[in-house]
Amino acid sequence: MFSKILVANRGEIAVRIIRACKEMGIATVAVHSLADANALHVNLADESICIGGNSVRESYLNMDSILSAAICTEAEAIHPGYGLLSENPRFAELCEKCNFTFIGPTADVIRIMGDKEKARKTMTDAGIPVVPGSSVIEDPLEARHEADRIGYPLLCKARAGGGGRGIRLVNGPEEFESAFQTASIEAKAAFGDGGIYLEKYINPAKHIEVQLLCDHFGNAVCLGERECSMQRKNQKVIEESPSPSVNEATRRKLIETSLMAAKAVGYRNAGTIEYILDKDGNFYFMEMNTRLQVEHPVTEMITGIDIVKWQLRIAAEVPLPFVQEDIRFTGHAIECRINAENPYMDFRPGCGEITLLHIPGGPWVRFDSAVYQGYSVPPFYDSMIGKLIVHGTNREEAIRKMQASLCELIIEGVEHNADFHMELLNQPAFIDGSYDTGFLNRLLAERQPQGKC
Amino acid sequence: MFQFKKPHNELELIMKQGKKRIPHVPDEMFVCCPSCKTAILKDELLENANVCIKCGYHFYINARLRIHNTADKGSFTETDPEMQSENVLGFPDYEKKLTQAKLASSEAEAVITGFCTIEGNPCALFVMEGSFMMGSMGTVVGEKITRLFEAATERGLPVVGFTVSGGARMQEGILSLMQMAKTSGAVARHSRAGLLYITVLTNPTTGGVTASFAMEGDIILSEPDALICFAGPRVIAQTTRQKLPQGFQKAEFLLEKGFIDAIICRQDIRKTLGKLLMMHR
Repeated sequence: MFSKILVANRGEIAVRIIRACKEMGIATVAVHSLADANALHVNLADESICIGGNSVRESYLNMDSILSAAICTEAEAIHPGYGLLSENPRFAELCEKCNFTFIGPTADVIRIMGDKEKARKTMTDAGIPVVPGSSVIEDPLEARHEADRIGYPLLCKARAGGGGRGIRLVNGPEEFESAFQTASIEAKAAFGDGGIYLEKYINPAKHIEVQLLCDHFGNAVCLGERECSMQRKNQKVIEESPSPSVNEATRRKLIETSLMAAKAVGYRNAGTIEYILDKDGNFYFMEMNTRLQVEHPVTEMITGIDIVKWQLRIAAEVPLPFVQEDIRFTGHAIECRINAENPYMDFRPGCGEITLLHIPGGPWVRFDSAVYQGYSVPPFYDSMIGKLIVHGTNREEAIRKMQASLCELIIEGVEHNADFHMELLNQPAFIDGSYDTGFLNRLLAERQPQGKC
Repeated sequence: MFQFKKPHNELELIMKQGKKRIPHVPDEMFVCCPSCKTAILKDELLENANVCIKCGYHFYINARLRIHNTADKGSFTETDPEMQSENVLGFPDYEKKLTQAKLASSEAEAVITGFCTIEGNPCALFVMEGSFMMGSMGTVVGEKITRLFEAATERGLPVVGFTVSGGARMQEGILSLMQMAKTSGAVARHSRAGLLYITVLTNPTTGGVTASFAMEGDIILSEPDALICFAGPRVIAQTTRQKLPQGFQKAEFLLEKGFIDAIICRQDIRKTLGKLLMMHR
């Protein structure tokens, strides 16, 4: 087991990883930007090093700085968290070159899965159903032919995108040319790669993702599925596990398919495969996230397995002591992402000093966050300030628990979306589980004409 | 701020008595840009044609790499590769210097000559090697270049040349200076045959090379911020006892004064050469 780990991230996930390390007796090194000098993860860790200025680019994306910090502190491994450098194959490679263990899969796997087109091809070759679509096409005329073949509506997706970014909807052939060109230009600007592939737009659709844990000895287990269809502009808002739309048979197929995919790719460590579930119950591979995900807690709650600890153990070459048959799913878990934003003013993000913080408690109530009373939320990073997760014996109990917990959550000094979550949990489409990926966008669009939603 | 207490949990199961991994940065991983002082990943630098990602500083690259970046893949055939210098004048330590130069540069001499295609356009190509005795021109450099021009004249091919040089090679005395005339003669004959000659000046191009074939191109291109001169800035400053203007003898200065035709960044040189060659065909 590593005696020291550097956490190359910030916020709640850095805290999460440091907590796991503390339990396991692993010394921790936090890295932080100037603005994060008083962050919780910095105070929790055994050592901390400032790695740059306020912007993400100068600090948390600064590979030289982070590697230097790891060398100075003689860390043995680096945990990249989610986002930031977690899916940067170059960073993974550099870690290995400098003799650090990168907590995650190999750089090659990250690279392949990061190329959305290659990922689709790899899965297709492995016999896994993939959303009908095309490979990356350069020529607009050829693209138009493919688009007509696939049929409308369809999506223009950036090869280098992912996480909901770089996607354009095309409703009909007359919209295609301009959407395709624009998508390519935007992708080039945002990701440095203008490659666009096409995918059939499946609507209504549910976003179902599956959690995998694979060790270095060929053992893989699937920790169940999560439903993340409550999304605003492709960003997840609420996640739950198990999915109310997945029955036993589908779950078994999802698990089987996902394990097959993991094997096909030679996957190691924790990862998530995202699928689209159509209204007929068919699921199609969309993309694979080769990292820990924000919503991992809901899976932890229903399986009782600490995913972060297992990431560390797997990376330390410990074989998984359990197999798929040992995995039990108990009860139901829901997670609400608490963001520092005002949902009633077009989700305008905000910052400020937290003057009063009261977090809910009680059985099976969990709040993963890096905020504390007196903390000033900095304006440089994403707006998520916490995740509220509850677990109940069934879905109804979980919803009730979440409502009660949201009411008990007090964060004064910044605007946040807890009230909005309460509204969402009350929506009939959520309660009956029928909500799809377009639900929230439609709901918000309906409210627009009345001024602000 | 908070002063969290530390839980004294023992390190979880140590499975194998594995060796503790000691972090170690391989020497070749980072390079410090001499211009903006940023540490750049060598991989990233290589991907960017050895040009600093932050400030555009053109790092020195050797002749083989330049040929690799310029000529179409697999199209380069070298001429006169075994030609080597001898200490004709009995200059002290010249043999030693030659041996050192061969080891340092992995080349036989300070210029590589041959034929290739650039973006499909056939041409003769010479690239000087700065790490071989500062790219100084002696009899072998002069001879190789002359032969290349003569062959190109015969075959009706344009010539593209990359220069980098400290000037004429001191150890070969007047024989080196003679190369200036010899190469210029070959260039003139090539030119009279109506053939195109493009030079790309790289940092630094000085002395006898500047005063001969480097500045005889029909089109003279240069890399940004290259020092191009005959006598160097220090000599001029000392001789004239005058303060020299900013950027004196740098490519941008020469462009302004009309001595070169264009400054092309390394990433664009191949396309530019291809276009020029194509237009001339």
